[in-house]
Amino acid sequence: MRTRKWIQASILLFMGLYFLDNMLSGKINLYINSDRFAWLSWIGTALFLLLGVMSVIDLIREKPDTETDQHDHEGHDHAAHDHGHDHSHEQAPSWFKLILVGIPLMVGLLVPAKPLGAAAVSNGGISTSFSSAQNSPTSFNIAPADRTVLDWVRAFNESSDVKQFAGQTADVTGFVYRDIRFDGKPQLMVARFVISCCVADASAIGVIVQTADAAKWPQDGWVHVTGKFTTQTIDGRDTPVVLADSITPATQPEHPYLYP
Amino acid sequence: MDAATLLATFSTRFLGIFIEAVSFLLLGTLISGLLEAFVTNDDIVKLVPRNPILATLAGSFLGFLFPVCECGVVPVTRRLYQKGLPVSVGITFLLAAPVMNPIVLASTYAAFGFGPILVGRYVISWVTAVTIGLLFSFQNHPQRVLNPASLSLIGATVGGGSAEAVVIPQARMALFPGLKTAIKLAGEEFFEMGRYLIIGSLLAALMQTFISKEAISALASNPVNSVLVMAGLAFVMSLCSTVDAFLALSFARTFTTGSILTFLTFGPMVDIKTTSMYMGMFRRRTVFYLVVLPFLISVLIGIALNLNVKF
Repeated sequence: MRTRKWIQASILLFMGLYFLDNMLSGKINLYINSDRFAWLSWIGTALFLLLGVMSVIDLIREKPDTETDQHDHEGHDHAAHDHGHDHSHEQAPSWFKLILVGIPLMVGLLVPAKPLGAAAVSNGGISTSFSSAQNSPTSFNIAPADRTVLDWVRAFNESSDVKQFAGQTADVTGFVYRDIRFDGKPQLMVARFVISCCVADASAIGVIVQTADAAKWPQDGWVHVTGKFTTQTIDGRDTPVVLADSITPATQPEHPYLYP
Repeated sequence: MDAATLLATFSTRFLGIFIEAVSFLLLGTLISGLLEAFVTNDDIVKLVPRNPILATLAGSFLGFLFPVCECGVVPVTRRLYQKGLPVSVGITFLLAAPVMNPIVLASTYAAFGFGPILVGRYVISWVTAVTIGLLFSFQNHPQRVLNPASLSLIGATVGGGSAEAVVIPQARMALFPGLKTAIKLAGEEFFEMGRYLIIGSLLAALMQTFISKEAISALASNPVNSVLVMAGLAFVMSLCSTVDAFLALSFARTFTTGSILTFLTFGPMVDIKTTSMYMGMFRRRTVFYLVVLPFLISVLIGIALNLNVKF
């Protein structure tokens, strides 16, 4: 029973430490929109640490009493007690409960943390347009060379004629995505995930890039693309495509997801 | 696609839901613990007006002042009855409080922003709770709705009339012992309620990772079936209302808006967890109504919205 109580306390404490590590290392950016919600995760960190530390303190304090009490307590009615001191009679959670609640910790510590990438696109699909809420900033105010994949995709969505983007400079970073639509074509997509709250609402967007060596770029690899936009007809529709001047491998950004 | 990548995607999705939600869960349980320690029955009862209609309305908003997780709602309702409040007020509070509280407002807003889901969740929950509460005002004797165990706890006499508390009156705790108790309760509730969050997150992450949109799109976009499925999911997942918005968010792009609203309005009122708690407090007939009425109302509204409103 005491073992279980110690495990209970440890889970709380280690969750706090896990959260702290996420916050300090930036891994939290893999899971939530940290621009909006970093403060929330700090609160979670603080609460876990508080709960963990208090549980540990309680357990350490309990020690002298419980050792003598263990003998008295085996197999007799608790209602008959009348002790002068205060000690807890609470049951420790069952092993099943402990293991269950320990799962996030185990997953977090054992599985290497990676952001959603090309593999995650297959479930929800990828879009070349993005409609955002009424009051979000318009992408047209941002200079072309400063626009992210999200800015471009939003701009395409807001405009009535995408031909206006022809000739504009593109300078974007994203992960490589190709599916059967691109087989045999010298094209790939530079993609990002957009999240508004957290990974639960992640949706993939991308910009089509034309380059002769498209097939050699590994799926899911981060790349930095520069070039100029042109308009091509794809599936019967005018679609902006980047004619790549240069594609270089890039490191995974500190904020892999874009925020609308 | 190899197993390692799938595992990484699954784990990111799972942790993503869990990490965002768990801070709200902790906040909710801590506040519950603080209430347990520092708020007495009298404090709550003082705020309820005499007039039965006004009292029912007040009951629906009490959750904003005394935010308890849906788990904490049943004990608080018992305390209200202990103080002789009419049945209808308790029922309204029971059904409304899991949604009508600031933490749920914050987490729903965090997940969905200001829009039809946020507004819909609150309007539908409030209307449902008040309607059912008023229906129960025709049965305003505690004996008719509470089970014998609860009745003896609140000391109601067989002849009807006011309840005299037989439970030792709860005293407000001093600051430090109260804080310690609150923290301890929060820790325990985290293990109790965290289980459901984790199971729910695992389920949602599994669905998002291994089931493609096309596979369930027929079901998920059907105006009626989607609602029934989400009502069933809400019942089974038994999530704390402080965090269910994040689970709903993971379904939001595949399922109809009406079904998401049903998930967010039915779940807080009725699920496996709360049904078993109701059984511990009310007569079987009452529990039946407490399960079936919210189900009917939330499902019908969800279907009606799907069929009539373009979101």
